[in-house]
Amino acid sequence: MDNIETFIEKFITAVDFQEAVEITPDTKLADLPEWDSLAALGVIVMFDMEYGKTITGEHLKQASTVQDLYQLLA
Amino acid sequence: MATSTLNNVRFAGMATCVPKHVVHNVHDVPPHLRSERERLVRNIGIETRRVCPDWQCFSDLAYDAADKLLNDLQWSREEIGALIVVTQSPDYLVPATAIILQDRLGLAHSTIAFDVNLGCSAYPFALQILGSMIASGAIKKGLVLLGDRSSYKHKDPLKDPLFSDAGTATALEYQEGAPPMYFDLNSDGSGYKAIIVPVGGHRNPFQLEHGIARKGDDGFWRSDLDLILDGPAVISFSTQRVPPMVENLLGYSGIAKDDIDYFIFHQANRMINETIRKKLGLPEEKVPSTLREFGNTSGASLPVTVTARLRDALAAGKKRLLFCGFGVGLSWGGAIVDVENAVFPELIIS
Repeated sequence: MDNIETFIEKFITAVDFQEAVEITPDTKLADLPEWDSLAALGVIVMFDMEYGKTITGEHLKQASTVQDLYQLLA
Repeated sequence: MATSTLNNVRFAGMATCVPKHVVHNVHDVPPHLRSERERLVRNIGIETRRVCPDWQCFSDLAYDAADKLLNDLQWSREEIGALIVVTQSPDYLVPATAIILQDRLGLAHSTIAFDVNLGCSAYPFALQILGSMIASGAIKKGLVLLGDRSSYKHKDPLKDPLFSDAGTATALEYQEGAPPMYFDLNSDGSGYKAIIVPVGGHRNPFQLEHGIARKGDDGFWRSDLDLILDGPAVISFSTQRVPPMVENLLGYSGIAKDDIDYFIFHQANRMINETIRKKLGLPEEKVPSTLREFGNTSGASLPVTVTARLRDALAAGKKRLLFCGFGVGLSWGGAIVDVENAVFPELIIS
């Protein structure tokens, strides 16, 4: 499994931010301007293709921080 | 998995018609929305779409496609034993659009005509339905008219960046010894809410208040008459169910992946289509795409892709195609079809 730094790099690519953002494990997803339906699709595909892990929209709704997303890999 | 084989059915031709009006997903939206739209276009891969004007229905596009195909095939209208319309945008809720088109196309009263309600997944199902009627010996020649006017509820065609309009015609005929067609067709109604127009049928009949639009977070107005699409549910369904189905169909048919010349997938969006392609380990050159130019034309996206990308290749000699549709229902299926000396008119713009 990736460490959280690598996970965050992949997360940034998956969400496709329009402007560079500083993201830490504690960053709240709701505070990110691009945390929208498109980002959700990107993250679902990332989990599937990078980690072979199937997650649903429900998993994403329950996650409030980047750390919470990372925990879904466990 | 519902696998099946049809013998003695020949793929005779296909024609595709799109409306002439082009909408650009970035240039045509207000300036303050453009940078968000650029990000969207980058990810869904859809730059331009074809959108019907108010007066134009799916059936008008399908009529043009069928009329051209019949003329190019030099088939007499009396010979057509069945006309199957596969759409989720009929002219009326009642009666069936296929019967209206039987008369409009000048087909005989002895034509079997009916509608089938399937969307993005429709193409392999349509081939199986008409192909079965032909293989049984009930009819010798038939047409499937398939497509949608998916932009129909959108008074403002800009708010929905995915959907595009097209009508298509496919001709099948009886031919002793034609190469077998192989199918794998599946359904899962537990996911019916993933893509739904919740109002207007008998479960929730239209009431005046359903027509009242509310402004969404994206600045566009929507009412209960608009299509609801649960993106995460659709992407999970498509990327989890489609690749194993394709593998299963190949296994059932005994045909190796390398022996398929082209894989024609429903054009959903770039994220979905690329994920499916990578999971199946298919090279880009075997998986033609029309997303950028024509968007998601529902079930018609398979014929759109064949007409727009493969006409030259198909004119050059025998090709083996794997068609794969998936989406609303939920419904997903595949068909392996050998195509040789079939008629493919140029894209019709109407």
